[in-house]
Amino acid sequence: MDKLAKQLREDAASINVEVSAELDDRIRASLHGVTPQRSREKDVPQRPRSTWWASSLTGIVAVTLVIVLLNLNQPEPLVPLPTSPTERIFNPRLQLNTVASTEPLRKELEDLEADLKKAEEALRKEIGLFP
Amino acid sequence: MTDEADLIIAAKAGSVTAFTELVRSYSERLLRFLLTRCESYADAEDALQDTFINAYRYLQSYDSRWRFSTWLYRIAIRNAARLRTDHVAELGELRDEESDPLKLCIAHSERENLWQSARRLLSDEVYAAMWLRYVEDMSIKDVAVVLDRSNSWTKVNLLRGRRALDAELNRDKPTNESEAYG
Repeated sequence: MDKLAKQLREDAASINVEVSAELDDRIRASLHGVTPQRSREKDVPQRPRSTWWASSLTGIVAVTLVIVLLNLNQPEPLVPLPTSPTERIFNPRLQLNTVASTEPLRKELEDLEADLKKAEEALRKEIGLFP
Repeated sequence: MTDEADLIIAAKAGSVTAFTELVRSYSERLLRFLLTRCESYADAEDALQDTFINAYRYLQSYDSRWRFSTWLYRIAIRNAARLRTDHVAELGELRDEESDPLKLCIAHSERENLWQSARRLLSDEVYAAMWLRYVEDMSIKDVAVVLDRSNSWTKVNLLRGRRALDAELNRDKPTNESEAYG
């Protein structure tokens, strides 16, 4: 044992404590009032061995039911969206309310395109590119 | 019946007498330890009582692969911590040096008791690790179990604690050089 360990042990021994008779009595008395908690293993009731088949059968029935229910509630396959943005806007398969909401935008786009064409022609005339 | 294992088996079977024998063999050791962790002598006594009550109540959960002392110290540390929390919650941090239970139980000497220095220098956990290792002679593995720490944490902190206390122990001693040059 090294010097520090020896010193630590000696110093611990020099701490004077005494378990008084009163404390001893107190502990004993309180122990008599304590109900030891039973282990969990003992609390679990033992099932009869012959019932294994009943639980197996219940398990099989439950699994079959889950499979059937899952197949019944399968969702309809999703329709893929058109990939091109133009297709997405002017797709004839669109719902009526969608078409109604995009119609003004479509008209505005056509007007803008017409304006742009006119402006381009005017510019070409002005700089003499037009025949 | 004197063997500890036999006493534990009997106590597990419901013998209060057997458990009382265990109480007798551990109460002084535990009280000395609890005294260093509680705010007053009365708190240490309460913690001791709670430790034995809890140990008896949950004796069925004691795993005989571990030393009984390991299990008891684990309960004792928790009880001391709970009492200290209650104490602080009720009265705040009111540690009075004059009423320090450890100081009151140590005879006056020229040198400060190393456990008083330890309490000043080390954290609660490192202090407990040092006590369990050097006073209770527990293995590092057992100390780690009591403190709910890893083996490596325990090793590192025991080393740190040793260094701090070694320095404290040798603080007032003259070094070899100073002796030589006098």
